[in-house]
Amino acid sequence: MSLIGWLKGNRLVDVTAQDPLPVQQQGAITTRTADTLLVATTTVTADANRDLLGSTATELPTLDGCMQYRKLVWFYFRAGGDSTTYRVLARATDHNGAPLGAGWQELVADTLPGGANSWGRIEIPATTDGYYDQYRIEVQRTAGSSYALTSKIVGVR
Amino acid sequence: MTPKVCLVTREFGAFNRAWTQILRNLGIDYTLCIATSSTTGANIQTPQGVFAAGSADLRGYFRQFDAVILCDNTGNLALGSLINYSVFWLSWNAPEDPAFLFFNPHFSTAITESAYNSNFPSDFPVVRPNPSDIAGTLYAADGGSASSFTPLAAVSTGGRGACVLFLAENIRAHVMTICNTHTDNIPYYWRLDTAKHSTLSSTTYTHRVARNGRAGEILAVPAPPTSSEDTETYPNDCVIAYRYRNCFWLPNAISRRQDVATAGNPFLFWLLYGLQLAGVRPRYELPVQVETDHPLGAVNSGAPFNHGIETEINILVPSWDYMRDFARRKNTAIVNGVTVGTKYRNINARYHWHLLYSTSRSQAERDAAMRVHQILVAGHREGTTPCGVHDHTIGSSNGYWAAAVNTGFVRHSGMRYGVPNNVPIARGRCCVAPHVLPAGVAGADAQTVQVGDTELVEWDIPTSGTGNTFDLPMGSIHAARIIIESEIEEMLALGFGDGYCAGHRYTNTAANNSGGECYWQALKEFGFRGVRSASACNTNLNTKRATPNRLWHGLHLVQEMTLDIYSATSVNFSWGLYHPSAPSGGDAVRYLNLDHSNDISSGWTTNPALAWRAYRRVLCMAAGRWLGATAVTLGGAYFHPIECLVPAAPSRVLERFDGWSILNAANQPHYNHAVELLENMDAVVRLLPEYLYWGTITDVMDHRERVMG
Repeated sequence: MSLIGWLKGNRLVDVTAQDPLPVQQQGAITTRTADTLLVATTTVTADANRDLLGSTATELPTLDGCMQYRKLVWFYFRAGGDSTTYRVLARATDHNGAPLGAGWQELVADTLPGGANSWGRIEIPATTDGYYDQYRIEVQRTAGSSYALTSKIVGVR
Repeated sequence: MTPKVCLVTREFGAFNRAWTQILRNLGIDYTLCIATSSTTGANIQTPQGVFAAGSADLRGYFRQFDAVILCDNTGNLALGSLINYSVFWLSWNAPEDPAFLFFNPHFSTAITESAYNSNFPSDFPVVRPNPSDIAGTLYAADGGSASSFTPLAAVSTGGRGACVLFLAENIRAHVMTICNTHTDNIPYYWRLDTAKHSTLSSTTYTHRVARNGRAGEILAVPAPPTSSEDTETYPNDCVIAYRYRNCFWLPNAISRRQDVATAGNPFLFWLLYGLQLAGVRPRYELPVQVETDHPLGAVNSGAPFNHGIETEINILVPSWDYMRDFARRKNTAIVNGVTVGTKYRNINARYHWHLLYSTSRSQAERDAAMRVHQILVAGHREGTTPCGVHDHTIGSSNGYWAAAVNTGFVRHSGMRYGVPNNVPIARGRCCVAPHVLPAGVAGADAQTVQVGDTELVEWDIPTSGTGNTFDLPMGSIHAARIIIESEIEEMLALGFGDGYCAGHRYTNTAANNSGGECYWQALKEFGFRGVRSASACNTNLNTKRATPNRLWHGLHLVQEMTLDIYSATSVNFSWGLYHPSAPSGGDAVRYLNLDHSNDISSGWTTNPALAWRAYRRVLCMAAGRWLGATAVTLGGAYFHPIECLVPAAPSRVLERFDGWSILNAANQPHYNHAVELLENMDAVVRLLPEYLYWGTITDVMDHRERVMG
C-alpha cells in the first residue's frame, strides 16, 4: 500500500502510474520558439565595417551563442532613406566559444531595402538554415546623411 | 493594490524605451496611450477605446491609474503645440482623479491655440515661459551658458549641474535638473508667480498626493550656496519642482528620442521622484550598490601631484575606513576587484600583492599598504567590503581571453591546476560528442569537457608539463580553469576566504572582460554566480560578445557603468575636478565633457565660483550614470579608488569639497570622489525611500532574476 493516496470518486486509491495525483494546470503551457536577441539603435554612418552595435572591430561578433537558432529574423525601422549597404557575416566556434578561424563567411552583401521612415524584414540566412554560432551585421551609408536605424533581431529555433 | 500608471505619448518614433524599462524593473504595470495630435483636438488612443482629450470618458478611464505621465518634451519653447491636449487635465483635480506628472512640460506662451489658453488654469502659479522674453519668464540655470547641443540630449557625458533643495524632506542633492530649455541650449529653472502661489498654498485641498493639504506646494528649489565663493544664487521666486493640486510640474526626466533602454538617461531621478510623489507604490525597490576596481593600488603619479606611493596609500587608508564605515551604516556592500596575479606573474607597482610584499617597496610603503589591506580583509569577513579576483596580469593586461595566447604565462603552485601537475592547457585536437563517439577511438588522455549545453570528449590535449611557465592559449576552458584557480589561490594567500566576494559569489572582471563561454563555465565551476562584463567581452582580441540577455546558464553578466573621473585610455589617474594643464580626458570636466561654452576653463584661476560649478556638474553626471545602472540596466557602477583619489589633499583626505579653501598637492581644490559620490547618492536614496535602498550585488542579481524572466 502506498503512503500517498487520494479520493477517486468515493474511494481512496493509492498513487500509481494508472492513478496519478490529479493536478490542475495553472495557466496555459507555452512553448517558446523564438527569442528576442537584440534591440539596438544604430547611427548609420559612412564608416566601413560598422556593425549594429556600433563597433568597427571586424572580428567582433554582433551576436554570439546563436547555435540553437535555425534562422535569425532582422526587423528594422530606418529613419533615413539615404543609400545604405549591409553585410551579414557568420561563422562557427568550437565548444569553448573560439572561432574556428579568423574572418567570416559572408552570407549576404546588398543594399538595405526601404526609404525614410520605412520598415524592413530580412531573414538570415535568406534560404537555408543557419545554426552558426556568431553573426556580424554591418551597415554602411554610401551617400547622404547619417540616420538612426532601429533594429530587432529574433532568433527562431 | 497593483501599481499602475498610464504613459501618454504622441509617437513611438521619438519614444525612449527607458520609460517602460524602468517601470518594468520597478514592477509597476503600465499602459501606453497614443495622442493622435499635439493639439487640444487630439484623441487619446487607449486599449479601452479612443477618447477625446477633454472628454469625461477619458477622465473616467484615467481614474483607474495611480498616475498619468506625459512623456513628450521639447527643447524649443517656440513650438505652437506639443502636449496641448493635456491642458484639460490640469483641471481634473477631484480626489478620484490620478496624479498627473509633467516632466519638462511645454506650456510656453508660444502656444496660441485658443482652446489651450482658455482652459489653462488662471490660478496656475508657474510662469509660462515666453520665448520672446526668456529673461522675464525663466531663470537661466547652471551659469547660464549654452551647451554645444541641446542639454536634454546628455547621455553619459555633457551633463549640467544643479544642487537641489527638497523642501519637505529638507535634503540637498546633486541631480541633473533642467526645467525647460530652448534652442539657445541653455538650461532654465522656472519662475513662480508668488501671489498665485500664496493663494494656493493657503487654499485647503484634499487629494492623496497633497502632502500638506494645500492646493499648491513648492517641492524643490535651487539649494543656496554653502560657501561665499559660490556665487550661483537664484531669486526667491525661482522654483525647480511644484505641485499644483494633483498635477506635478517637474524637470526633465527621460529624453525624447528613439532609443532602446540604456543606462544613458541621467535625468531619471525625476521620474522616480515624481512617481513617489504621485503615490505609486512599486512592487520592488531597487538596490543601490557600488563597486571598485583595484581597492589597493598606486599610480606612481608624477605631475601634478608628485605623490610618493606612501602618500598615495595614505590617502586610501582613511578613504577605505570611511567607505567601510559607510557600508556598515547603510547596510550595503562595496564590492571590490582585487588586482591579483602579481604573486606569480607581472611585477607591477600598482598591484595588491606587490605593494604588500615586494622588497622593492619600502617598509613604510608596505606598512601603509597593509593598513588598507587589513581594512579590506576585515570588511570582506564582515560583509562591508567583499573582494573578488580581478586580473590584469593576463591577456595583455586586459584580463580574460583578451589575447589569443598569453605568452610566458606563469601559473601558481599546488591545488588542482598548479605546479607540478601536468594539466591540459588547450582544447584537444580531437573532440567528439559522446553519443556519436565510436568505441575505441578516443586516445588514452581522453576526458569529457562540458561548456554550457555542449559536452564533448577531447583527446590529444596539449598539456603544461610540470613547469610553471608556458605559453597559454587563452581560448579554452582548460586555460580558464588554470587562470581562475591561480587567482583564487592568491586571494586565499592574501587572507581572503575566497575569490568571489564571499556570499555574493561575484567579481568585477579586469577591463570588464568576462572572456566567453569557456570562462563563464569555469567561473561557474568555481562557484561564481555572476561577473561584471562589457558587451564586447574580450577586448582587445574582440572575438566575443556577452549573451544578449546577460544571463548564461544562470551566470549573471552584469553590465558595467564607470563612475570614474578620468579617461583610462588617456591618462593613468585623475587630475581632479579640473586642472588647467591636464591632458585630454585627464580631469573630470574634460572626461565628462562638462566645460560648456568654456564656462569652467576660462576663468578657473580667477573666479572661484567655477570650482563649485565643476563640482556640481561632476556630481550630477555621476549620480545620473549611477541611477542609470541602478534603474535601467540593473548593472554594476564602479570607480577606481586611487586613480580618482589622488586629487584629495593628503593631510585632509576626508574633508568635503570646499572650493579653494582646501587645496590638494597641485594647489587645486581638494576633492575626494569616494566620499562625495557616496554621500550624494545617499541623499538620493533618502529622497526616494519607496524606490531605492542601499543593497548589495546579491540584491541586484536577485532582482535581475525576478524581473528578467
